[in-house]
Amino acid sequence: MNSRRWIWLVWALVLSCYVVPYGLLGQVQAWYGSCLFWFVVGVLVIVANIMITQGF
Amino acid sequence: MSTNLIWGAVLIYLVVAVVVAYLSRGEATNGKGVDMSGYFLGNRQMNGFVSALSYSATTYSAFMMVGLAGLTYAGGVGAFGFEIVYFAGVSLVAIFGPRFWAVGKRFGFVTPSEMLGHRYGNGKVAVATAVASCVFLIPYAAVQLAGVGYLLAGMSGGAISFTTGVIVSTLLAILFSYIAGIRSVMWTDSLQALFMIVASTLVALLVVHSLGGFSELFDTLASEHPASLSVPGPGLFSFTTFLGLTIPWFFFSLSNPQVSQRLFMPSSLKSMRQMLIGFLIFGFIYTVVSVLWGFSALVAFPDLAKSDLATPTLLASEHVPPVLGVIVMVGILAAAVSTIDSIMLTLSSMLSRDVYANVVIDASESRQLKVGKWVLPIIAILAFLFAELQLNLIAVLSVAASTGLVVIVPAIIGAFYWQRGTAVGALASIVGGGLVVIYLYLSGVKPLGLPAGIWALPVAVVLFVAVSLVTRANRERADEFMETARRR
Repeated sequence: MNSRRWIWLVWALVLSCYVVPYGLLGQVQAWYGSCLFWFVVGVLVIVANIMITQGF
Repeated sequence: MSTNLIWGAVLIYLVVAVVVAYLSRGEATNGKGVDMSGYFLGNRQMNGFVSALSYSATTYSAFMMVGLAGLTYAGGVGAFGFEIVYFAGVSLVAIFGPRFWAVGKRFGFVTPSEMLGHRYGNGKVAVATAVASCVFLIPYAAVQLAGVGYLLAGMSGGAISFTTGVIVSTLLAILFSYIAGIRSVMWTDSLQALFMIVASTLVALLVVHSLGGFSELFDTLASEHPASLSVPGPGLFSFTTFLGLTIPWFFFSLSNPQVSQRLFMPSSLKSMRQMLIGFLIFGFIYTVVSVLWGFSALVAFPDLAKSDLATPTLLASEHVPPVLGVIVMVGILAAAVSTIDSIMLTLSSMLSRDVYANVVIDASESRQLKVGKWVLPIIAILAFLFAELQLNLIAVLSVAASTGLVVIVPAIIGAFYWQRGTAVGALASIVGGGLVVIYLYLSGVKPLGLPAGIWALPVAVVLFVAVSLVTRANRERADEFMETARRR
């Protein structure tokens, strides 16, 4: 996957930060709901940036 | 908590930090031929590790352990989401970082506002950007100073006065900025970043352990405060509030000059990569720790009158031994000072490079540097006075800081991607957008029921594009600038 695709992944992750917790996970009141979701997004953002900046 | 213990910890922190600041002195910032680039950018020779820690300490202020923990206490997991959206926004560094770095090196830019003035071929754009940054960031620095005042007063039970706390943090910020310019700021930032992350993580783990461990903590939250584990949660994070908070903060890495100026400093793109990845790892840990801190306070003390009391209450409780409590307190003090000194240094470079040098024709490098060094304590004294006076307008401007600065973003993105962008368009978006933000915050008006944080960027974009389309662009300058950014 080239860096452009990883950048698109970041934009998709940002969008999901609004859509998923306020939609799909709105009724899940446990650690495995929005809490876990945003944690995973944070980890994926780090991975995406490692891949985007490989060419640096 | 005993006053002697607090002063002892502050004194140890001060001595170690001043020694580090003195050791950071070098030819670039303290030599005979020191210039603006040397004093404010470390001659663009900063290594990745120090840059990462300094970027972290500059970005993360006392807001994290006090404000974000308080937001988590009051609003639940939405506070974590808000911070994660900001965190994802730092990815903009991966896209714009190499471009800033390339044009900075080629044209010798010292400040982001100077870059905009050059790109649009009009010094007024640089002046407007510098003034807008001062209008929003000096009050923001003042609130950081006030935060230290409240923290020391609260932790000592009033034995250390609010004013004493503000004076201590102001003097520390001036000292760290003055000793060796950006080098002393970055090296003391690095020390403070390590201190912040180690102390807060260890104590957060200790508190979670004393509350029965992670599973017990989240079981208690799920049974006694279930709303805190979803959004909108207890009600603080409605969708429009979440949107209004996150849009300006998503662009923080571009809109705030104290961090965007850092994109000129790395010695190479490899160093920039280390800076970005290092910051992301630091930021993620610090965010999780601050949120855990807020959740722990909610479980341990569910009936606090104000959510801002979550951290001080937890630090003063039986869950945290006094020595560890005072170490975290110094960590919060370090977080505030490391943000304030960077803001002061950046604003002084902008006022000398972009305001003074545009008013006084042919101002030499050494003259600009002299003005920059004179302006620095004046900015510090202004921030100190604002913190002491606690004016309502200052509180409004500090809250509006991230929203107010986001109006600079269209001109920055346009500089690299839109040849048709003009100086008049950039001025209209920065000045017009900034005035709209101030009006919305002062009046409390919410057009269509939406907060200012949602309106600021669209208003600035419309002004930038519409005015640019009816005015003449400097095509030659745009081509040269964009070609340099592309080649990098």
